[in-house]
Amino acid sequence: MTNVVPKGVRNILAGISWPVYILLYTPLALVAFYSLAPAPNTQGHSFYAYGVLFHDGTVFAALQRSLVLAFGSATVSTALGTLLGYGLCRFRAANARGLTANLPSLIIYTPIIMPSLVFGISELIFFNFIHQQTGFLNAGLLTMVIAHITFQVPYVALTVFARLAGLDPNLFEASHDLYANGIKSFFYLTVPVVRPAIIGGFLLGITLSIDDFTISFFTAGPGSVTLPIYIYSAVARKGISPEINALGTLMITTVMVLAVAHFFISRSRDRRASLIPT
Amino acid sequence: MLATAAQGEARARNFRLWITAGPGLFWIIVFLLIPSIVLLGIGFFTSNDYGSPVMPLTVAPFSQVAGYSLLGWDDGNIVIFLRSLEQAGIATAVSALLSYPIVFFIMTRPASVRPLLMLLVILPSWTNQVVRTYAWLELLGPNAPVTWVAHALGIVPPDLGIAPGVFAVTTGLAYNYLPYMIVPLYASAERLDWTLVEAGRDLYASGVRLFWHTVFPQTVPGLLSGVIFVAIPAFGDYVVPQLLGGDKALMIGSLIANQFTETPDWPYGAALTIIMLVFTGAGLIGFRVLTRRLGGTGEATI
Repeated sequence: MTNVVPKGVRNILAGISWPVYILLYTPLALVAFYSLAPAPNTQGHSFYAYGVLFHDGTVFAALQRSLVLAFGSATVSTALGTLLGYGLCRFRAANARGLTANLPSLIIYTPIIMPSLVFGISELIFFNFIHQQTGFLNAGLLTMVIAHITFQVPYVALTVFARLAGLDPNLFEASHDLYANGIKSFFYLTVPVVRPAIIGGFLLGITLSIDDFTISFFTAGPGSVTLPIYIYSAVARKGISPEINALGTLMITTVMVLAVAHFFISRSRDRRASLIPT
Repeated sequence: MLATAAQGEARARNFRLWITAGPGLFWIIVFLLIPSIVLLGIGFFTSNDYGSPVMPLTVAPFSQVAGYSLLGWDDGNIVIFLRSLEQAGIATAVSALLSYPIVFFIMTRPASVRPLLMLLVILPSWTNQVVRTYAWLELLGPNAPVTWVAHALGIVPPDLGIAPGVFAVTTGLAYNYLPYMIVPLYASAERLDWTLVEAGRDLYASGVRLFWHTVFPQTVPGLLSGVIFVAIPAFGDYVVPQLLGGDKALMIGSLIANQFTETPDWPYGAALTIIMLVFTGAGLIGFRVLTRRLGGTGEATI
């Protein structure tokens, strides 16, 4: 197909694309560059801001909350989402019509299509109301975890569903014929087969949780500031500082290193898998 | 006998469906569907002195949305609304215009480097939205390099930055959502039937005409998905206008959020939300109809 596109056109495409690639990374690179600001009354570059950051207790507390939030919500949403995707793929009759067929899909797609601002404000009002009525669910880390689970469940369910839908339905017939009951067949057949999808869903959940700001912002309480909320309020209140840049740099680097590592590991695994004759 | 067995099996199947799918669906219903219905309902209540909803039911919040208040009519809300539409529209158009060259640039590279080039496109969007948005202040803020150029050219008055401002918001939105356009477009470009392009070439079509008649129609489904993925979140975005916008670039998202945080007026905020969702929903349905009419292919949907 590459020979269909003439050389001149390919040069134009490259001439537009490379600057865009550079532009994609320029703001992030500048964050890293300005994080190396000199210490007070000195010149040149330094890691001074990183030192300040490491001695800042609020930042560590925020980091801890971000991690609890990400891993806690991803664990629950992986369990709920896996069951949901499995159930819909296996037990929804192929000829289902009306509510049984459409209602679950409608419910699953609401968190995905709802603008995160509307999502966040809905939860804010809901938790506020529950707290006024019962005294439970005061805005804090718990309400944030609940909200994060809600937006992750559909993604996990879709990942698991897509994996199961690509399987041969005869596999389940076979396990049934071998006298496996539903629970046995779930743990011995389904779980091993969809394990990549479950792991993928879990990682996706963590990524979504770490990336989110808007929903966290509206469900957080005064005592549950996470890293994104900390950065947002710092920038909104007093603008950018070298410490904020240092924190941003660490967050950017962590995500990039993890993503690139995941990319190369899964690629080498694919390559090994393709060596096995089928 | 047979019929009852089949019925029993169907019942067992349904039972299993609700045991497995039930908890997840229940969670979403309790923690999202009911709260969002409550939020929308609040739009029809009267606001008390603290901005909380009280009886009686009224449509006053909606006339407030339209710009009517005790002081008479004001075009502020309409300006904000049109600005949000414009910002989302420009950001979508910019991402679409940039996505085509990038997608076909990647397509013309050897198959082994294509995944890496895609990863490089997606990677920035995995960093937190607050970080990748405030990063633009480093480039467009009052003391930033690009702003010096703008000062020299006289585009921006001295002492001010490009950010906060309308242009910075457009840039931020396009930057945030560009990958959401590239990914679906790339997916449809991967499935492209190149024999059609060759056939077109054999019929002596070339350049823009060749692209327009053979390549473009095949990428329309991807383009339309991309438009939805970019335009809808950009329209209601909160972080970008808050960090890069300032007062003169206020968008609907900030306007809604203000009614629930700074100066509470829940019914008014809920009415604004309803209007925003009506616009979003109309756009979504419109594009779905358009995709179907243009022969969008069915994807694996739940």
